[in-house]
Amino acid sequence: MSLSTALERLAKYRTNNTRASQKTFEQGCLILKSGPTTKLGDEGWAFLEQLALASIDVGRLDISDECLKQLAEKFPRSPRVDVLTGIRMEATESPETVLQYYGELLEEDSANAAVWKRRISVIRRTGKLEKAVEELSLFLDTFYTDVEGWLELADIYSSCNQYTHALQALSHALLLAPQNPFTFLQFAETAYTSGDLPLALKMFLLVVEMGERGASPDAPPTGIQIRAWLGVKLCARRLVYSPHVSSASDTPVPKTIKLIDELATERVLAAYGGQKETGSKHVTDWLASR
Amino acid sequence: MSSSTVSLYLDPQIRDWVLFPITLVMILVGILRHYVVILLQSSPEKQTREAIREQRALIRSQILRATSSNSPAPPQFYISISRHLSQAFAAGTYLKDGPPKGDAPPTPPNPMDPAAMDGMMAGMKTQMVMMVPQMVIMGWINFFFQGFVLIKLPFPLTLGFKSMLQRGIETPDMDVRWVSSLSWYFLNFFGLNGLYRLILGGDNSADSSRDMTASPFAGNAQPGAPQDFNKLFKAERDNLEFSEGLYTWIGTGVEERVLRNYGKLPPA
Repeated sequence: MSLSTALERLAKYRTNNTRASQKTFEQGCLILKSGPTTKLGDEGWAFLEQLALASIDVGRLDISDECLKQLAEKFPRSPRVDVLTGIRMEATESPETVLQYYGELLEEDSANAAVWKRRISVIRRTGKLEKAVEELSLFLDTFYTDVEGWLELADIYSSCNQYTHALQALSHALLLAPQNPFTFLQFAETAYTSGDLPLALKMFLLVVEMGERGASPDAPPTGIQIRAWLGVKLCARRLVYSPHVSSASDTPVPKTIKLIDELATERVLAAYGGQKETGSKHVTDWLASR
Repeated sequence: MSSSTVSLYLDPQIRDWVLFPITLVMILVGILRHYVVILLQSSPEKQTREAIREQRALIRSQILRATSSNSPAPPQFYISISRHLSQAFAAGTYLKDGPPKGDAPPTPPNPMDPAAMDGMMAGMKTQMVMMVPQMVIMGWINFFFQGFVLIKLPFPLTLGFKSMLQRGIETPDMDVRWVSSLSWYFLNFFGLNGLYRLILGGDNSADSSRDMTASPFAGNAQPGAPQDFNKLFKAERDNLEFSEGLYTWIGTGVEERVLRNYGKLPPA
């Protein structure tokens, strides 16, 4: 593979935020061996950062050290390199050392969001969930627009069975990225787990509605749609038999619940009906059972 | 004067020693200015956590309000967020220096605040870099080439352009197509931006005519400009209440919309 195509592909990874560490690492090494990166111009530095991260991912710390050295020489005292150094430290050092390093960085510049986020992730990893939640809440109070942060908070809450709190965190994520059906799906599933079936049903239906724009109603559902329809079916089949289920959010059970149940059955069958595999039998059995 | 007979002959020396030098000098000065401005740019001031929190607090309510008429958040969650923000704004939780104390009159923002001064100084510096060379060039042209006719435009123009194209020459009946040296300077001054964009890329700081309109004292362009956030927060509370009235959840009636789409219900 030629150098320019490798570079091009790596640049594409960067813009699309693709992690693909193994591939990045292989192609990055090729470029790194081919000569000094200073020849690549400004793009070379972004490439070095990318390669450093990828090589930490695949466990080749020697390569990442090399990248870091070049970056640190070029950009002394850059907060971005500082974060990268921190990530490199996380790979080998004890969490205490890393936390201390991040603490020092934050003392210098208390508003460095990237360092702050890394610090929270390390805290979470060491198992101090309470402290992680506290820090993360403080972080989100300052940097409200960080969707990842809200999703992480919801994840921490869900892992401790605090579903109401998780839903609250997710509602912020919904407000920030109302165009992302996956956040809706996560909200729906969290609501389902917390036992708020009417709310979960509505949210599953919203995912369905978001996905079906522009698609013909006859085509079998794909991808996220299948999961959403399965969710609709899960909620609907229980709501049909006990329509007066309690809802923590006071969401009313729709009057057309029977129709929804039928439609969900139809759609799930459409998704699995075409295949002559064992999976389809399980699905029909599941649909036939109560 | 008929346009077919050429009434004036220009010495080619004027082209070589006046027209080209003026253009060249102006281009070079623009490029030089671009690099000097880059050198002069001070790194952005680091802000404390509290300051960022204060600045971004308004964004929270703006995000909430932006989708309020079709909000993705279910009613219970929307109302709790909205009420929480409203209370926080009323109590001044988000203010950098903590909630205001009692009835003490708010101190007026100090115009000599060092943070604001820095921003102003940066603006002044770029202004100076722009003004000084332009003044020198203008003086140079006025001193050496005053009253020179440099070039003849290849297309006819109406008399209205006379003051624009023949500045510095007081001849009432000369053809408008002749351009004087001072006017050539102004044409370059305002017209070279396209060339700079080709040479230096999109966001260059070589174009000086743009800075003419921007005053270094215009406060809104600088992040460090003092703002009375307490007042802004109080105003935002009304907006929040207003949006709460407009609020509808997109989940309302979603089952009917889905059923209609699949033909299970008659279309509305």
